[in-house]
Amino acid sequence: MEFWKDETEPIKAFLALFEAAAADPELFEGLKKVNQLIWFDYTESGPNCSFYIDCRGGELKYSAGKPADTPDLVMSLSADDAHRSWSDKLNPVMAITRKKIRVKGSATGLLKLAPKLKKVAAIYMKVLKDLGWEDKIIK
Amino acid sequence: MKGNTGKIVNVDLTASQVMVETLPEEYYRKYIGGSGLAAKLFWERGDIKADPLSPEAMLLFMNGPFAGLRLSGASRNSVAGCSPLTGHWGDSSCGGFFAPELRYAGFDGLILTGKAAKPSLLLIVDDKITFEDAGDYWGKGTEEVTQALKTKYGKDYRTLVIGPAAEHLVRYTMILNDGHHATGRAGFGAVMGAKNLKAIVIKATKKEMVLADQAAFDVLRKDLNVRIKEAVASNVLHENGTAANLMGGVYSGDVPVKNWTSNFWEESADALTGSTLTDNYLTRRGACAYCGIACKRYVEVKDGPFAIPDGPGPEYETIVAFGTLIGSIDLAATCKAGRICNDLGLDSISAGGTIAWAMEAFERGDLTLEDTGGIALTWGDMDTVIDRILPIISRREGKLGDLLADGSVAAAKKIGKGLDYTVHCKGLEAPMHDPRGGGHGMALTYAMSPRGACHVADPMLFVEMGARYYPEIGFDFMLEPKTGENKAEAAVMAVALGAIENSACFCQFADAEVTIPDWLVLFNTVAGYGWKAEDMMAAGRRVFFLKRLINYRYGLTSADDCLTPRMLEPGKDGEADGSQVDLAPMKARFYELMDIDPVSGIPTPAAMAALDMADEAKQVG
Ligand code: SF4
Repeated sequence: MEFWKDETEPIKAFLALFEAAAADPELFEGLKKVNQLIWFDYTESGPNCSFYIDCRGGELKYSAGKPADTPDLVMSLSADDAHRSWSDKLNPVMAITRKKIRVKGSATGLLKLAPKLKKVAAIYMKVLKDLGWEDKIIK
Repeated sequence: MKGNTGKIVNVDLTASQVMVETLPEEYYRKYIGGSGLAAKLFWERGDIKADPLSPEAMLLFMNGPFAGLRLSGASRNSVAGCSPLTGHWGDSSCGGFFAPELRYAGFDGLILTGKAAKPSLLLIVDDKITFEDAGDYWGKGTEEVTQALKTKYGKDYRTLVIGPAAEHLVRYTMILNDGHHATGRAGFGAVMGAKNLKAIVIKATKKEMVLADQAAFDVLRKDLNVRIKEAVASNVLHENGTAANLMGGVYSGDVPVKNWTSNFWEESADALTGSTLTDNYLTRRGACAYCGIACKRYVEVKDGPFAIPDGPGPEYETIVAFGTLIGSIDLAATCKAGRICNDLGLDSISAGGTIAWAMEAFERGDLTLEDTGGIALTWGDMDTVIDRILPIISRREGKLGDLLADGSVAAAKKIGKGLDYTVHCKGLEAPMHDPRGGGHGMALTYAMSPRGACHVADPMLFVEMGARYYPEIGFDFMLEPKTGENKAEAAVMAVALGAIENSACFCQFADAEVTIPDWLVLFNTVAGYGWKAEDMMAAGRRVFFLKRLINYRYGLTSADDCLTPRMLEPGKDGEADGSQVDLAPMKARFYELMDIDPVSGIPTPAAMAALDMADEAKQVG
């Protein structure tokens, strides 16, 4: 992996990102509108490298690993590309077209989130700084 | 001949005669089919001096080689000729169910000339073609006529119908298939209207087709049908229709607001996006023949001032053209306006574009109450748009109806004001993608497109999003939409690919999954061309060139490859604020890469010779 020491690091960063995003009223509202259970599958970077967010029913839950329920959407990519993606340095459409991101299920919810990706990236930068991982920030 | 039937029908409406003609295989090999083959036939036979609304005008309906072959998205057809809106080459792609039926009847195309003595319809039952009286249908809306024809002939008869607006020769009228699928752009409904042809009705029973390698085709067909259906974009289109990503477009500045005076109206993102249509009004989904994506919508607005019964729903273009473009974010009103446009037979893009122009003209005082017959044209006044403006346009009624029936450019010229805030290229009102937000490359391809500003002449819109990737031909661009960087390079390939798509009559939503090797297998197993990638790309480029040569005959030059001042102003508001298209360098580079003469706007003799167009080069002089 280019950005991560091991498979636990990316999940720690991404869960912290969602914790911070949930505290932002605009993003919280945006995430609720997604209204889906999404599994972010980074297992190509390690067997335990994944997390999910559950925005169904007006709530927002997130946790490491694979969800117990069948996800509405699975996004499979490497932990490095996930880092690029949350940093807004990877055009998701381009990545899907080039099969760097593989999507299974309904991407409708994600389209609602797409306009907020710049804001998500700004929060992610702060999260990385707070975690002491400033060196991971992509310039 | 393999794949194609090799036969077209020449229909002389004046003499009520038909003549079946066999075309040389070389025509297909060089120009593929669809709009490419139509261009070839028009180049040879079209009367450049003929008014597009005169009996001499030629109207071509052409299939692609995959029509009826049960491949997702590949059964569209192309309608072409001289556009009554623009006065030069026009073509328009249509989904639906006409193309397979025509092919099953044994034909690749129809060429209509002449003018019937009275309102007529053309009835095609297999290879039997007759002229029927259509007096009972004249003056009636497409919905009523479609239903009446289906009742009379049978539900499984496929129909192409024009509305009252086409009978009144409104210059941006469409032809509607089975009451839902529009040949929308360039105004060919009026050409049918001028020929006294209210409808074409078709039914075929034969389905045998001879392909070069049926077994190999079937293997790829099955695989492609699965891939197309399971693709992320298809899934989204199925779920929420062509407006599925309208929200993303709003935030990038791609969705034009109030005649392109702004690039951002935040509330429209939620109000008009595809999922809102799904949640509030969708009754069921629909599809063109054999398409597994099924992006079409049926909607019902149960109550309120814009209530409409269950029926065909609006696509992205209609939602924006009768939404933000004219200052409204009322989705119910959009649904109703779309339904009315269908029934009257109006192209919703040009109708919305023309009304948006008129609203700005009224706001500026360039159009007065005296000019409009007392109708105030106010942004977002959907009651007036639906109840008054669309009906009077369709009948050319009063000063305003007649003024707007010829489109925004003619209207501006007629009043001598407002040309600078028309939004078009070559006389065709622009579609609902603003390149200042969507991507500057699209500005270039709008300007280069032979029919005028067009987002489906080529896949540039998708290229700039990052949704096209063909490494086998070096098409591997990572583009920054809001700049001109590498756009000419991308456009050179995009225009050839677009010409292939539109000649093969393959839907842009479906063929995103078709790789270059897939395209080659399709052409080679169906028609037995034995093509390599360079042969196919050459055919695409040849088609693009030929359409430009036709326009040159109409007097168009490089000076017509331009955009209006409004489109070249810096974007305003949101992400596109300040985004300004620098067209000249992109255009110069495009000409250089394509070997197009920068003055005449046509390919150089060397460029034509390289594409085996020596005859065309000779004829153009
Ligand atoms: S994707 Fe939509 S427009 Fe294209 S062929 Fe399928 S149903 Fe028709």
